[in-house]
Amino acid sequence: MPAQTISPSLARTLLRATGWCGLGLIAIAVALSDFLARAPAGAVGMGAMLEAPSADHPFGTDLLGRDLLSETLHGLSVTTIHALIAALVAIILGGLAGAVAARLPRPLGQSARGIIGVFAAVPALLIAIIIIGLSSRGLAPLAAGLAAAPLAFVRAFDRVDTQSSHAYYARASGIAAATLLRRDLIYEFRDTLASVAARALAAVTIILSTVSFLGFGATPPARDLGLMIAAAKTTYLSAWWTASFPAVALIALIFFARMAAGLEEGERP
Amino acid sequence: MNEAAPFLEISDLCVTRSGTIELDHLSLTLMAGDSVVVIGETGCGKEALLRALGGFPDRNEAISGTIRFAGHEPRHASRRLRPPVRTAYLPNPRSHPFAPQASVLSQLSRVVARKLNAPLASAREELRLALERFAGAPTPALLDCTPAQLDPVSMAWGLLAAAMAQTPEFVLADHAFADLGPIAVKALLHALNEERKRLGFTLLYITGGLQPTARLDARILVMRQGKIVEEGDAPRLMSGHAHAYTRTLYQAMPLLSLERPKRKTARGQPLLQVHGLMLRLPDPAEEHASRETLSFELRRGASLALVGEEGSGRRRLMRALLGLERAPAGRVVFDAVDLNILSEAMVERLRRRVAFITGTDEALDPRMSLWDTVDEPLRAHLDLSRDLVSGYREGALKRVGLASHNGRRIAGTLSAFDKRRLQVARAIVGAPLLTVVDEPLLGLDAFAQTIMREVLKDFRVTQGSAFLVITSDFTVAQALADDAMVFKAGKIVERGPIVDILREPKQPATRELIEAVTLGAPDLSQATASV
Repeated sequence: MPAQTISPSLARTLLRATGWCGLGLIAIAVALSDFLARAPAGAVGMGAMLEAPSADHPFGTDLLGRDLLSETLHGLSVTTIHALIAALVAIILGGLAGAVAARLPRPLGQSARGIIGVFAAVPALLIAIIIIGLSSRGLAPLAAGLAAAPLAFVRAFDRVDTQSSHAYYARASGIAAATLLRRDLIYEFRDTLASVAARALAAVTIILSTVSFLGFGATPPARDLGLMIAAAKTTYLSAWWTASFPAVALIALIFFARMAAGLEEGERP
Repeated sequence: MNEAAPFLEISDLCVTRSGTIELDHLSLTLMAGDSVVVIGETGCGKEALLRALGGFPDRNEAISGTIRFAGHEPRHASRRLRPPVRTAYLPNPRSHPFAPQASVLSQLSRVVARKLNAPLASAREELRLALERFAGAPTPALLDCTPAQLDPVSMAWGLLAAAMAQTPEFVLADHAFADLGPIAVKALLHALNEERKRLGFTLLYITGGLQPTARLDARILVMRQGKIVEEGDAPRLMSGHAHAYTRTLYQAMPLLSLERPKRKTARGQPLLQVHGLMLRLPDPAEEHASRETLSFELRRGASLALVGEEGSGRRRLMRALLGLERAPAGRVVFDAVDLNILSEAMVERLRRRVAFITGTDEALDPRMSLWDTVDEPLRAHLDLSRDLVSGYREGALKRVGLASHNGRRIAGTLSAFDKRRLQVARAIVGAPLLTVVDEPLLGLDAFAQTIMREVLKDFRVTQGSAFLVITSDFTVAQALADDAMVFKAGKIVERGPIVDILREPKQPATRELIEAVTLGAPDLSQATASV
């Protein structure tokens, strides 16, 4: 009797489903953060500084006596919303623009790919810091989206196969280039949008939280997870909970997004 | 080895996959030196038999029964063991048997070296000697390139030479020469037959087409639903004194007819007029040497076949006719408009009246659903209501026999036969003035070929579209067209009504093409005399 094995496609489906379930739970936590949190964002509890996790404060408190459960929920909310804005920017200015540029006349399209390819070779974090430095910290989500866009552009550009047989036969029977572009966009986005969005979410979350950690991102009193971890730098050795819970929330967001994308770098055809 | 003992005994072999029976208690005995061709439609179980014999069954196949090779103990068929005799596997060159980056020659040499347990240099020498034995085979130097740079016929010669260089005792041929041009298939089958006589190996050749049954000096097994329904030699099975299924199968074998077809008397306006067209030859140096020009016209509703082997220039002419490629000289007038004076956008508009039905499954976008594929020409070119589009789509799908399929199914998941019919349905809704039919039967089994031929004939008769048929098979040309141009090395060597060409072929190239498809048909020379 042959051993029962899970087929690779089923394993991939399960992995993605788990990732989307995790992201769904995070979305619920973000939507209900004001109800789930015990205290408003930034509310200082007098006399309860650096308390270990207890029934009153399940995640403990920080140096200023803020309830870390509430702070983590608020931070997760800020990080997720900023990451969604950044992912949207990356998908539209990167992915969509790349798919359209691949359909432009060849010299024009290749020139665009060449120029944007240079930016794709620069670390996205550096681009984000430069954009924030040139503008303001309030534009961190936009900067993260713009930083991730060149790589998304190049990937989307390279995925379009203008030399495919079906495109050739369609053109040979008078199907216009605009129809072919619409066809590509509809089917590519239908087949890959979910995984592209999840991957972009993971990438921009990393960029956003890193720039916040380095002090270029969220501005107090609005605190995201990166800023919370940075604020715990002085206390985490003596009070482990101050950095651990925000870090776990951040890792969970990135990990579930990567799982939803199938843990793959490229889209599966 | 005991000469009297069977070379191979298969007992009670059963193969099931996901509850579907692929082989149903099959028992078979082959003697040493036997040559057996297994025929049947797609899914009859011949591939499962080959996999079980080769020791590479699919992981999701449940197998029972025993296989015994001469001088060895019987073994359970489910065990993934290589046959204990020296076995060569002969795949189809179109089934991508090579790694894409490495040289074909080096890959073949490595296979031979591994099978013979010999150094690579010796294996390469064996391969060279095998290639030298075959007239028409490429040289080792020509095979020293990547698979993408090699044509399927050269690849087939390479695969055959590699199999023979292994001096096998047993050869498993898996649709080995299917979908190659008839001249090449004839030469390859002849070479395989000669090698079998020389080396004395046992051959098991599975095929969906019928050409090997007539060309190989072999016993034929007819399979259906996992069982052998009949076996015998080709003359008996082709004679009509056979099982009903076998008779149906052989009725699918296309035969050339020397009867003059009834031509349509009323022909329409010229659809395609070609004046002094010069074809672009593959070798630019040759282009200056050959200043031959071409002039002809194709009227509305008429049909013309461009017949020739792969690479003979038929598709180059087609591309020039449709404005997809600029010819060095000459004029092409499509529907009373000179393509040379039009902008690319205007040529594109004209091409809306052209439909393609090709033997390549990549002609359809694999991401599109069945309905979207048929709807696209209507939606792209016309402003029709949803109901009208749906009505045209349903009508077209009904005519090709796909109406019962789930319309939301993705084209990439359809079988080759369904994809081919879907192409016809897409062509039907476009109401084309000209339909380009390019090797439409490629990759189909005998039954599917018959149905496809009928679907195309029906399409031609009812739609009144002009047909431009590109094929290397005169039986296809005759079924779908009235006139033909014969191509050889980029030049047209003969042209005229097909029946006249069949009766009195003037050029050796034409004669070769006709002989390549003359299987069970009466001798053409005698038939001509009787006519």
